[in-house]
Amino acid sequence: MRALAVVGTPGDRRVTMFADACARQGLEEPAVVPWTSVLRGEEIGIAPETLVRIDSPGEDAEADALLRGPGEPSRVGGGARWYAGFVAGITRVLRAVAATPGAVLLADVEDVSVMFDKRRCHARLAAAGVPVPPALPGPVGGYAELRERMGEARWGRVFVKPAHGSSASGVVALHASGRRVRAVTSAARVSGGLRNCLRVRCYEDETEVAAIVDALAADGLHVERWFPKASLEGRAIDLRVVVVDGTPTHAVVRASRSPMTNLHLGGVRGDLGAVEAALGPRGWEAALEVCARAAARFPGSLAVGVDLMIGVDWREFAVAEVNAFGDLLPGLEGLPGGGAEGLDTYGAQVRAILARHDPAGRARVPVGNGRRGA
Amino acid sequence: MDYSEFNDDVDGLYRGEYAGLPIVSLRPPGAPMPGAGEAAWRVSVRVYSAKETFEEHFARFTETVDTTEVRALIIGGWAEAYDKDASGPIRLLAENAARFPALRSLFFAAMPQEECEISWIQQSDVTPLLESFPLLERLEVRGGTGLELRPVRHEHLRILRFEAGGLPASVVRAVGMSEFPALEYLELWLGTSDYGGETTAPDLENILSGERLPALRHLGLQNSEIQDEVAALVASAPVVARLESLSLSMGVLTDEGAEALLSGVPLTHLKRLDLHHHYLTDAMVERLTATFSGIWLDVSDRQEPDGEQRYVAVAE
Repeated sequence: MRALAVVGTPGDRRVTMFADACARQGLEEPAVVPWTSVLRGEEIGIAPETLVRIDSPGEDAEADALLRGPGEPSRVGGGARWYAGFVAGITRVLRAVAATPGAVLLADVEDVSVMFDKRRCHARLAAAGVPVPPALPGPVGGYAELRERMGEARWGRVFVKPAHGSSASGVVALHASGRRVRAVTSAARVSGGLRNCLRVRCYEDETEVAAIVDALAADGLHVERWFPKASLEGRAIDLRVVVVDGTPTHAVVRASRSPMTNLHLGGVRGDLGAVEAALGPRGWEAALEVCARAAARFPGSLAVGVDLMIGVDWREFAVAEVNAFGDLLPGLEGLPGGGAEGLDTYGAQVRAILARHDPAGRARVPVGNGRRGA
Repeated sequence: MDYSEFNDDVDGLYRGEYAGLPIVSLRPPGAPMPGAGEAAWRVSVRVYSAKETFEEHFARFTETVDTTEVRALIIGGWAEAYDKDASGPIRLLAENAARFPALRSLFFAAMPQEECEISWIQQSDVTPLLESFPLLERLEVRGGTGLELRPVRHEHLRILRFEAGGLPASVVRAVGMSEFPALEYLELWLGTSDYGGETTAPDLENILSGERLPALRHLGLQNSEIQDEVAALVASAPVVARLESLSLSMGVLTDEGAEALLSGVPLTHLKRLDLHHHYLTDAMVERLTATFSGIWLDVSDRQEPDGEQRYVAVAE
């Protein structure tokens, strides 16, 4: 079997869980190329014939400082700089792989770059007919412009997303009508800028809401029309569906009393069985089909995490995000019938890597054969 | 009475059951639909970017479904319900009341938070719903902003619920001044002054005397930022003697309010006492559990203050 390497943060769960999955399938422990080393411009050492996976820098403070510049890690903002550094980093990895005989990059730099730009990601999905909420076209420079554009579009409620944010950082759920505003966000104003909090807050003072949006706008905003989500037992829900090699293999329900369902913001894992039951067999198939179609727009990516919203009436779907590194779902086993039963998200990817790149190797069963229910 | 069908989920009632009937929305022409009397009909249009007006949808509903058999209606959202008040849908229902002789259960403005935050729902005067449907047995209304009620006499109403992040004191007074000889279940979410819930003791006087509520078996005075004060009032209220169920849940209930309950009129005749979502200490929870060991007691969902802030369950 060819050697594996991971660009990641040594010791980070993403790296160790992928290594564990390799070990379970009889593979050597992957070498780790530290993100900090990539970002510092140090030489990227890759052995010939290596299959190179790119993972997230995670929450490593040093990598964050290299990407966004020095500062408090919980601050919101700096997304544009983060993005430039990140794309430069993965491009360096791509060049290093290209210069190494027989080495293969298990990711597509363009795919990843698009997924980390919510405007481009939205445009790519919309162009392919994947259901997404409509978005305001073009740049939105600040709060005043946002309200003007919302007025023109007759949108009373929107999701304001930093173009390069992740984990709901800086996302604002905004409801506005005249001077009456209501903004729900995990960003909190502190002296010198915005800070991420672990509790979403509600702001109803327009001056404050304007200050938050203006601060976020500097790094680019993506604004989508509100898509009212279905709820279960008083909690709004969405699905994170991991699609490995074209097949939706893993799914979790995220449920929250606030519009942000992220688990670190008070969201909880919801009851997948209840969601399946509410959708019915055809609805459930349709939901997975939407996820597979979204993932298919990123053909160079082994696995993506699709955030799927289900409409309040349980009939419509819309993709909120496609995440390049949306596979961190510890302990989650594959969906029944999804071809990755008994495997976690990393195990499913290791098997897909073996199927693609090591036809004479150990794992024989491919992770599915394309779309389900098509 | 099946108390389990009432909760604080602020659900959209898109699926499941309402008033013992499966919830059904109008289906496209040609699609099979249940008999008009065998469903709780959900009538609504989208709050955002609606494709048809509520009036158009309602007309389509009345043309498609035999309204003379409809027993339960859920009115969901109307276009831009955060901006346009409820007077249009209310007028439409009132004007068409004669077409719904069998209607017994009505939920008005069943919008979940994702569709419209409870304090953003622009309510209106809901008195016409009671005046136009004299045989109605169950009325539930969501949203306190702009909500009005005039005192009425209604012979058949058994269940009355107001869900609000802030219930206007004038509505609380109007409930107290109304005559509801058949009312068994009354639930009011008093809310917070931030959202127009400014009820004080005198506003609750007529309800707590019970004089105009001879059939009352359940009283819920909930979701209040002055839950301790409400508990103290309830603890000496004449109406309590006729109750089998009491709810002081969802609010800022602390040991002070619970102490008042324990030292007031005896409550041990109750079958149910719902205090969930509270700020009680372990010691107080133990005392309550011991005192009410023989009854159904809910002291779940204890809240931790956020600094000095204590929140009710549903405000925004």
